[in-house]
Amino acid sequence: MTTDHYDVPTDDLVHRCEHCNRPFAEDELLTLHKGLDHPDRLDDEELAAFDEVYDEETDDLRRYQIIAVGAIVLLYFTLLIIYALI
Amino acid sequence: MYCRRLRRWGTLSSWLALLVVAVGPAAAHGASLDSSRETIAIPAWLFLLTGGAAIGASFLLASLVTDRALIDAIHGWRRTVPVPGEHLLRGFLQLVGVVGLSFVLVVGFLGPELGNANAAVLLVWVGWWAGFTATTYLVGSTWPALNPWRTIAELLPSLNRSYPERLGAWPSVAGLLGLVWLEVVSPVADAPGVLATVVAGYTVFTLVGALAYGPETWFETVDPISRVFRYYGRLAPIAREDGQIRLRLPGTALSETRLVDGLDEVGFVIALVWVTTYDGFVATPTWRSLADPLVSAGVPALVLYLLVLLAGFGLFLGVFVLGARYSRRLAGTYLSVAELTRQFAPPLLAIAAGYHLAHYLGYFLTLAPSLATTAATPLTLLETVPVLALPGWFDGVALASVLLGHILAIWAAHATAFDLFPGRLQAIRSQYPYTAVMVVYTMSSLWIVSQPTIAPPYV
Repeated sequence: MTTDHYDVPTDDLVHRCEHCNRPFAEDELLTLHKGLDHPDRLDDEELAAFDEVYDEETDDLRRYQIIAVGAIVLLYFTLLIIYALI
Repeated sequence: MYCRRLRRWGTLSSWLALLVVAVGPAAAHGASLDSSRETIAIPAWLFLLTGGAAIGASFLLASLVTDRALIDAIHGWRRTVPVPGEHLLRGFLQLVGVVGLSFVLVVGFLGPELGNANAAVLLVWVGWWAGFTATTYLVGSTWPALNPWRTIAELLPSLNRSYPERLGAWPSVAGLLGLVWLEVVSPVADAPGVLATVVAGYTVFTLVGALAYGPETWFETVDPISRVFRYYGRLAPIAREDGQIRLRLPGTALSETRLVDGLDEVGFVIALVWVTTYDGFVATPTWRSLADPLVSAGVPALVLYLLVLLAGFGLFLGVFVLGARYSRRLAGTYLSVAELTRQFAPPLLAIAAGYHLAHYLGYFLTLAPSLATTAATPLTLLETVPVLALPGWFDGVALASVLLGHILAIWAAHATAFDLFPGRLQAIRSQYPYTAVMVVYTMSSLWIVSQPTIAPPYV
């Protein structure tokens, strides 16, 4: 494997995973990473933090999915109408 | 290749219209199939727009699957397949490979001089490059056993010189581009003597290389043909993993990381995608009208073909790296651009395979009877060589494989992103640039497929 996995800007605040040293730009991403990749090594507090961030993300994801479904419907009917007109 | 069939625009259009119906809510299949019999002629822009929309819609649909456990279950599914008599089978394949190579050399030099009546030409292009290649991604790659050069090289002594590591896979990228250039500009596709000479040259080159660096290094690193089949084999449902033959879902191994290790290997994947496009592009009237003024201005045609091959490869690689740059920014990740290109290159193999199938499935079925008949009496020129007439709807299969390849690529990249990024929205956002690139790519490829096919000019 090559060694250029990460490219971390020097002037940014970096959140590093204490278990695998992977750098993250945001604290939330680090929390998610720890819960997903090192679930056995978390204490109760970290588990609670993971659940909270995960639930918040689920809400954002719902909003995205509504937009995505809307886009699919729009795409479908736009093409349907174009085909009907041509 | 010399027997590209002219594609019928109307049938293509009606099949695409049918696919739009299928991409939307699953409509009643039987009814829509019947109604498609009457050919709908649609304008070219709508044909391309629909193809692009099908890719965009597949991305949106894939992005609705955000359950990590489900994605892991799909990609982690494996069953061990017991293969009785594996050693015997391997020995048999090795024998078939060596006999096939000798057949091509003997019949190429001594057989009939007409390309489509010569069993060597048909064996190489129809049996091997169209048929066998399709089995490497549809079933599983048997090339390591079949490879006649490897079988011979392993019987010979080797100097085992150390291979310059810094070259990586670049020699195989150059080799692949070189072979495709040769295929396009030389009569290697229909002149038996030229084909046999090229095969003989390749044999000498490969055996000398294997002699110098050892068969293992040569066929794993330098030999472009072995690399093509190894990469295509990553798509296949059957593969050897950890010493066992295993069954997996098609395309699911593309999201694993161990295939591509550096920009050199990313380059090979991109080259594989680009050469299928190049092969189609130089056979369009548009290419002829672009090349006409340049050739009359005195640019040698062979150089022009080479320049376009290299420039297109550079463009494809550049766009892919640019996509990784945007992906990195959108995802807000500290993973390097190099790492992202390595991770997201393997899914592109599904696109290359889709194009290969689109180009060669019909070609294979049409000419398979010719191969069977000429192979029975390889040294006599037959008056008539049978070909299979394919029904008109068969163009739809070509179109479907192009779209299916893209959809599989979108899914594999989606799974890779979920493996790579802790945030689910982050993973989806990282795919925007790749989806945009794929939409543009699908539309340009459909444009090539929809053009009438001519023989590449000036060569």
